[in-house]
Amino acid sequence: MENNIIKKSKLTTFKQNFNRFKESKIGMVGLVIVIFFGFLAILQPFLFFTGMWDYSTYHPVLGYDAVPYTATVVECPKEYPTENYNTRADCPSLNEISIITLRPFMPEVEIGDKVERFRQPAPPSRSHILGTDSLGRDVFSQIMEGSQVAFFLGLLSATLSVFISTILGSIAAYFGGIVDAYLMRQSDLLLMLPSLPLLFIISAFTELKVWHLALVIGILGGLGGSVITIKSQALQVKVKPFVDLARITGGSRMNILFSHILPNVAPLAILFMVFGVTGAIASESVLSFLGLINLDMSWGLMIALSQADGYISAGFEFWWLVVPAGLSVTLLAGGFYLIGRGLDDIFNPRLRKR
Amino acid sequence: MSNILEVKDLNMQYKTSEGFVKAIQDVSFDIPEKASFGLVGESGCGKTSVAMSLLQLQSDNAEITSGSIVFDGTDIVQLSEQDLRKVRWFGISIVFQGAMNAWNPVIKIGEQIREAIREHYPENSKDQNTEIILDLFNLVGLDQTVIERYPHELSGGMKQRAVIALALSCQPKLIIADEPTTALDVVIQDQILKEIRKIQNKLGLSLLYISHDIAVIAEMTDLMAVMYAGRIVEIGKTTDLFSNPKHTYTKMLLESTPSITGDRKTLKSLEGEPPSLIDFQEACSFSSRCPSPTKECKDGSISMKLIELEDGHKVDQCCYRCLNE
Amino acid sequence: MARYVINRFIQMVIVFLLFLVLSYLLFDAIPGNAFQSLLLNPDLPDYAYDRVVELYGLNDPLLTRVQNYVVNFFKGDFGYSYLQFPKTPLDLIAERLPRTLMLFSVVNIVAFYTGFFVGKILAWKRGSKAETWITITSVFSYTIFYPWFALLMLWYFGLKLNWLPIGKFLYPEKWYDAPFDSDVVFVEMIKYTIYFSLLFFLINIFTRNIESLKTRKNIRLYGFFSLLALSYFYWNSSGLYIMKPYAGDIAYHMILPILTVTIVAFAGTALLTRTTMMEVLKEDYILTARAKGISQKRIRDRHAARTALLPVVTSFIFTIVTIIDGAVITENIFSWPGMGQLILDSVLREDIPVAMATFSFIGIVALIAHFVADVSYAFLDPRIRIRNQG
Repeated sequence: MENNIIKKSKLTTFKQNFNRFKESKIGMVGLVIVIFFGFLAILQPFLFFTGMWDYSTYHPVLGYDAVPYTATVVECPKEYPTENYNTRADCPSLNEISIITLRPFMPEVEIGDKVERFRQPAPPSRSHILGTDSLGRDVFSQIMEGSQVAFFLGLLSATLSVFISTILGSIAAYFGGIVDAYLMRQSDLLLMLPSLPLLFIISAFTELKVWHLALVIGILGGLGGSVITIKSQALQVKVKPFVDLARITGGSRMNILFSHILPNVAPLAILFMVFGVTGAIASESVLSFLGLINLDMSWGLMIALSQADGYISAGFEFWWLVVPAGLSVTLLAGGFYLIGRGLDDIFNPRLRKR
Repeated sequence: MSNILEVKDLNMQYKTSEGFVKAIQDVSFDIPEKASFGLVGESGCGKTSVAMSLLQLQSDNAEITSGSIVFDGTDIVQLSEQDLRKVRWFGISIVFQGAMNAWNPVIKIGEQIREAIREHYPENSKDQNTEIILDLFNLVGLDQTVIERYPHELSGGMKQRAVIALALSCQPKLIIADEPTTALDVVIQDQILKEIRKIQNKLGLSLLYISHDIAVIAEMTDLMAVMYAGRIVEIGKTTDLFSNPKHTYTKMLLESTPSITGDRKTLKSLEGEPPSLIDFQEACSFSSRCPSPTKECKDGSISMKLIELEDGHKVDQCCYRCLNE
Repeated sequence: MARYVINRFIQMVIVFLLFLVLSYLLFDAIPGNAFQSLLLNPDLPDYAYDRVVELYGLNDPLLTRVQNYVVNFFKGDFGYSYLQFPKTPLDLIAERLPRTLMLFSVVNIVAFYTGFFVGKILAWKRGSKAETWITITSVFSYTIFYPWFALLMLWYFGLKLNWLPIGKFLYPEKWYDAPFDSDVVFVEMIKYTIYFSLLFFLINIFTRNIESLKTRKNIRLYGFFSLLALSYFYWNSSGLYIMKPYAGDIAYHMILPILTVTIVAFAGTALLTRTTMMEVLKEDYILTARAKGISQKRIRDRHAARTALLPVVTSFIFTIVTIIDGAVITENIFSWPGMGQLILDSVLREDIPVAMATFSFIGIVALIAHFVADVSYAFLDPRIRIRNQG
């Protein structure tokens, strides 16, 4: 049965929906954020490719750059305050270095000498927009790399998860009976498992690289609670008269499944996907932070390193090590979530303004 | 007898993504005390919008651009939300279309009625309120056990009666009944209608009865108005309109109702659909469906103001001219 | 209703058994075993490793091992912790559980109420500028990178302002000559929290039927304050008086984690409440309520929020499972030695019996939470309740 009564072209529907989406301020903010990070993700290979950046300096994992500066050797007094310093923390100050630190390496050095030092981690400068980390790697490059990881991981696992749960949910709704009962219990089982400890265990026996992690998060997510929600949505469609109509007119089961139930479930599925990205990004960051996965570079890893080196306790003195990575995770995960909210406002006609 | 409600030149539009929908255009009517007034028209003609505007309950994207609604001497349109709350239910109450859903499913019926009474009679004690509710239930024919029940435990007819009881609970001067019997079967419908009439007479209330069913209007009302595409096209005493309809639309409405008595006739129906209310039309909005439109109807050179034919019987000029040519 | 409950219960048991088997297989898949690191030491004789492996039945076929495990589980025998021998996993769990429980029950209550409250207001003020910005803020506090945020809070309140302690749950110096174990104090504190919440809950239930709104609110307020006064006497009574400073110490350490987790957790509830409320606000009975002339505030609280409460409460119970994830990170960063830390540690250090026991324990909690959620939803919604009775 073809629907040819009023055939609006797909493009106009899309345009209409996009206009509605634009109305939702929340969704637009999210979209802007996501586009921004997407841009960052693409920017990095572009910079390398066009030679504006060279690998040795700017590579997020292997690069090295250190800013040289001259430091005066001082001896820090035992009591404070003195005329030069207010508290113990002020000595040695930015361009000074304590003689005690140097002694083991340069025994002949005297107070007042000037020595060449390399600053790492270096604060933001012209050549390094966000400075370098404790290993001399450019932080901005790391952020961009992390962005690539986040997008890749997030989108892959979310898509996988939604794919699985949509199909399973639709099958459960359509066939009912034992199939349904089994799938529901399976979801229950998975809902029951606390995801973080589970991921710990899995990371304990396999080496998790980005691909693997995406697969794992995707499959786990797909088999879990979203199946239940999609099933109930699909059920609502199933009881609608037009499904019976389609069956009477001889549509095969698969046909019904695809042309009727799936399109109705699609908005919900898209919503889940967007929220899924949020979850995936958050999970990965947490796992990296706890040191459980083996990625070359990600935002979670950046924070983990900063904490291990103790830079977080120094507060905002080394802000470029602390703020950008955490902020990126927050913003990108939040950006996808906001898009989801914006989409929700469109798709769910019940939520439209009265 | 003074008018309990005077609506003058009311205009209301809805803001949508496709433009402004002019739901009510230059609507004016008066409802005297103790009278019952019917508003008839097809779906989408604006009757419910009128009802909503009387309680200032129109949706957020609706805006009253001009006109006044004077209830018992006060212009409701100008009132603040605080003052409006005092008018609602206490002055004007409403029996909604689809009264099934008027009840909050997790609160007992009795409590929901009490809530309304408490709002307007805060000094009443619990027992006084129970008395009031029992009286109301008596009036509408409900058993006192209903007080402690949840909405889903009642049948459709019972819920409807309860809604009527709710509408009466604060002794309003005007009740709006917006298609209160649409979802019920004819037997119940008949009962409910009789009950409403009985109550109205007993308590001396004014009634604004809204329906698309012209037969019900005939039974229930003293005065009536016919609405089409946001305007009133004919207004007057019910008996006058039925015996001597002047507007083509009114005539067609009457002719489309089957009659049990008399010869079998082919039912006449109206071709086409009501016009979109988005673009403001100077022309007669009915002209696209009028069986005998003239040039002036369509090009807008006739004003749509109503003219009075006989005592209280008004009709819009377009059709009057048709008839007299 | 009873049939539904029993049915659910049976399902729960079946799922749990499956879960047990599954978790055993999962742990089994981890390559190697704890003994390898301990015993494959060239200084020890060869047969030491083999003998231990034999003793622990690590070479038995899979089926036997699974059987043994399940049977032992129900006997309550979890073996011994590899790394904290001779403590059994149960001992460890018993030790750690009150700590986690204390912290997270308070957190849940606070986060839930805050979230519900914010969500109510958000839904009501739909479309206003305030709503957009509050929603965006809520979203970002929901998605904020939690470890990072926790670290920053720790730094700010602990190091910079020096208002709150940096980690752990007590100051060891203060407890040197304490007559009690911290566990005892925790148990007392949990008891107190339960009494308090229960009494408050009862007050709310008994005042449900009072006619006038004002008196109802006033009575509840007075009730709350009198409970607070009672608490003062409770803690000053003979048995607990000595415990007061220690309990206080623990409470002091709880402030920062609670604050941090609440900021992150309230947003989830708030957003869900907002969505549910928005759907409810479309319903006809809200329109009726407005027509009745009832104040906006009362409509929001009494009608909309009440109906929205149902799905929010059930989802809240589901989120208890997610709280466990949060617990792991929180306890890690704040050095709060509770269940979360236990499971993290045991997995990282391959202390299998403890890891499995904790894992199973969390599974049970999740299952029970589901069960409670399903049953309470059926109870709260009178439509389902009555349908099941009739």
